Amino acid sequence: MTKVFALALIASGLVLTSRVSAEELPGGKCLECHSTLEDGVAEVWQDDVHAHAGIGCDGCHGGDPSQDDSDLAKRRGTRYRGKLSAQEIILSCGGCHGDIEYMKSRNPALPIDQLEKYRTSVHGKLLAKGETRVAQCVSCHHAHGVRAVNDAKSPVYAENVPATCGHCHADAEYMADFEIPTNQYEEYTQSVHGKALLEKHDVRGAPACNDCHGNHGAAPPSIDAISNICGTCHAFNAELFLGSPLAPDFKEKSLADCVACHSKHLITHVSDDWLADEPGGACRKCHETGDEGSDLALYYVDTFGSIQRSFDEIGDLLTRAEMKGMDVTEGEDYAEAARQGLMQARTLIHAFSKPVMEEKVTDISQNQAAALEVGYAQLKAFDDRRRGLTISTLLLLLLTLGVAIKIRTLPPLD
Amino acid sequence: MSPKNRKRSLLDWAKDRYPIAQFQEWAKHKTVPVGRGAFWYYFGGITLFLFLIQVGTGIMLMFYYKGSADTAFESVQFISAKVPFGWLIRSVHAWSANLMILSAFIHMFSVFFMRAYRKPRELTWISGIVLLAILFGFGFSGYLLPWNELAFFATKVGTDIIGIVPYIGEPIMYVLRGGEDVTGSTLPRFFALHVALFPALLTMFMFVHLFFIQLQGIHEPQAWETQPEQRKTMPFFPHFFMRELLFWLITLNVLAALAVFFPAELGVEANPFSPAPAGIKPEWYFLATFEFLKYMPAHVGPIEGESLGLLVISFGGLLWCLVPWIDRGTNRRITTTVMIVGVVALLFLTIMTYRGYFA
Repeated sequence: MTKVFALALIASGLVLTSRVSAEELPGGKCLECHSTLEDGVAEVWQDDVHAHAGIGCDGCHGGDPSQDDSDLAKRRGTRYRGKLSAQEIILSCGGCHGDIEYMKSRNPALPIDQLEKYRTSVHGKLLAKGETRVAQCVSCHHAHGVRAVNDAKSPVYAENVPATCGHCHADAEYMADFEIPTNQYEEYTQSVHGKALLEKHDVRGAPACNDCHGNHGAAPPSIDAISNICGTCHAFNAELFLGSPLAPDFKEKSLADCVACHSKHLITHVSDDWLADEPGGACRKCHETGDEGSDLALYYVDTFGSIQRSFDEIGDLLTRAEMKGMDVTEGEDYAEAARQGLMQARTLIHAFSKPVMEEKVTDISQNQAAALEVGYAQLKAFDDRRRGLTISTLLLLLLTLGVAIKIRTLPPLD
Repeated sequence: MSPKNRKRSLLDWAKDRYPIAQFQEWAKHKTVPVGRGAFWYYFGGITLFLFLIQVGTGIMLMFYYKGSADTAFESVQFISAKVPFGWLIRSVHAWSANLMILSAFIHMFSVFFMRAYRKPRELTWISGIVLLAILFGFGFSGYLLPWNELAFFATKVGTDIIGIVPYIGEPIMYVLRGGEDVTGSTLPRFFALHVALFPALLTMFMFVHLFFIQLQGIHEPQAWETQPEQRKTMPFFPHFFMRELLFWLITLNVLAALAVFFPAELGVEANPFSPAPAGIKPEWYFLATFEFLKYMPAHVGPIEGESLGLLVISFGGLLWCLVPWIDRGTNRRITTTVMIVGVVALLFLTIMTYRGYFA
C-alpha cells in the first residue's frame, strides 16, 4: 500500500513537472517568427510580467497570432497595429491598467490611476501637445521585458530609478530643446539620499526621483508642496518649520521652504558650520550680520559649540575613570541621553525659536552635568579606594608584623 | 568576673561537655616537617583560605545577584556601581577564584615533585585532583553568571568542547545548556551548580582531603626514613599556624591590591542573537586545553581531531590520577620517568597557556 502511494506521489510529481516545463508563453506564431529575428523581442519576452500573466502580443499589437503566415497574421480585420506610437502606447497600457474591473480580475493590488496621473505630468502634457520625445510608459518600464516594480532588474526598481530618469534627464543633448538643467542625476548621486540608495542600497528608506516628483504624474514640485514632500519622511522637521515664524515669510517671498537652505538634488549632511555668520553660511543667504536671524544663528553656533566642548570634557573624564578600572556606565548613559538631546536640538533649529531651543539645551546641560558628576565621582572613588587600600595595607602590615614578631618569640625548633 | 576568668570558665564549661582536652592534646603533638620543600606546604592552606574568602564574598554577592538572563547583567552592574563596596566584593571574588586555582595548581605540583602522593597517601592525591576538578567547575559556572558577551560565547565554546566527548558528551552538554544551545535557560543551571552543587561537593571532598591528612600526617622526605637524625619538625600549633597566618595576611593584601587596581570588568550584556565577537577565550586555566585542541588537525585517520585531542587529554588526566600506583618508590627508573613527565606536563601547560593568552 505504501509503495503504491509512493509511486502515485512520484507520478503526480512528474505530471506537475512536465506541465511546468511544457508551459508556453503566449505569443503564438508572432513569437515563433520574432525568435528568428534579431530584434531581441522574443528573448526579453521570457521575463515579461504580461507574458507570464497570459497576455499575448495581440493584447497590445492586435493581429492574429495563430497564423503561420505573416501577411495572414497582420491581415485586415485582425486589428493589427504594428509598432505603437507614443500616444497609442499610453492608451494601450492605460486601456487595461485604467480599467478597474479588468485590473480587479488580474491584479487588484495595482493602482489604476497611472494614465490619469500621467496626463497631469509634464511628460503627459507635452505628449498631448505632440512632443513625442517625452517619456511614456515604455520609456521607463520597457516594452517587451516589463518586470514587476519590486524586481531588482526592473528599470523602475527603487535603486534603478535614478539611472532610468537620468537616461534622458542627464543627457544634455537630448534635453537641449527642453531648456531644463541636466545635472540632477550627478547631484543626486553625491547627495545623502543618493549615497544611501545607490551605495548603501537602502531601497526602503532613501528616496529616489519618483519619491519627490511622483511616478506617473512626474512634475517639479510647487514651492507650496516642498514642505509636504520633504515632510513625508522628515515629518518633525517639516512640522517645526511650518509652525515657525519663518514659514509665513517664506511663503510671502515665494522661497522654497526646505530647498532654500538644503538645496534640491545635492542635499548633503548638515553641519553646525552652516549656521556660521560668514559668507556661504545658510542663514547668510537671507540674513545680514546683526539682524534678528543672524543673532539666532549665532546663538545656535555658540550653544552647539559649548555643548560639544562639554562632550569632549565628558569623554576625557569618563575615559580616565574607565582606564582606572572604574564603572562609568551610568555616566555613559547620561552622555548618550545628552547626545540624543543634541540630535533633537539640531532638529529644533527648524522651529527658529530661541525659547524652544533653550528648553532643549537645559535638558542637554542637565544630562551632561550628570555625566560629568559621575566621572568626577568615579575618579574620587578611585582615590578613596587607593586611600582605603593604603590604610588596609598598613593595618595588614602591622598585623603581619605582629604575627612575624610572635613567630620570633615562639620557642625555637628542635 | 575578669575576662581571663570568664574565658577559663567558658573553657571549663566546654570541657565538661566535649573532649576538648583530647583535641588540645592532639594539637600539641601535631607536627609539620621542616626542610627544603617546607615553603610549598603553605599552598594547601592558602587554597583553603581563598576558598573561605570565596564563600564569604559569594554569599554577599548572592544578596544582590539575580540569576536569570533578564536580570543577571543589571544586577551585577548594580553590585559594581551602586552597592557600597559591591565593586570590592565582586572584584575580590573574581580575583580570589583565580588565585585559588593558581594556588591549587602550585599545591598539586609541589605534592607531585615532593612525591608526597606515594603510599599511604594515594587517596589524598585522588581527593585533591577531584577538588581541583570541582574548582574548575566553579570557575566555568561562575564565569557565565554576569551574563556578559564574553562569558556567553566562552560558555558556548566550552560546552561545545564537552559535546565532543563521544557518547556522553552531547547529553551532558544538553543538560548543562538546558537545551541545544546556550540560552537564558543555561544561566539558572550554572547558577544552581555554582552556589549549590559545587559548594556541597567541594566541602565534602575538602573534609575527606583534610581528614586523610590529619589521619596520616604531612608527608615527610623519604631520606628521613634512612637517616632519622636529619628529621626536623615544627609544631603545627602555633609555629606552622602562625606562619600560615602570615601567608594568609599577605594573600589578603595582594587580593585587595588586585581588586583596587584591576577591578573585575563587566563588558557588554550578552545577546544570544548577536554574532560572536573576535578573540573569544576561556579563563586562563582552560586555555591550555583550548589551545591544544586548536592545534589538532581536522581528522586523524577515522577520528575527528578534536575528539582525539580530548582523548589524549583524558588519558593524560587518568595517568595523572594513577601516578601513586605507577611510581611506588620501588624503582628509581620509574620515579625518574614520572618526574620528567611531570616537568614536561608543567612546561606544556605553561607554554600552551601562554600561547593561548597572547594568541
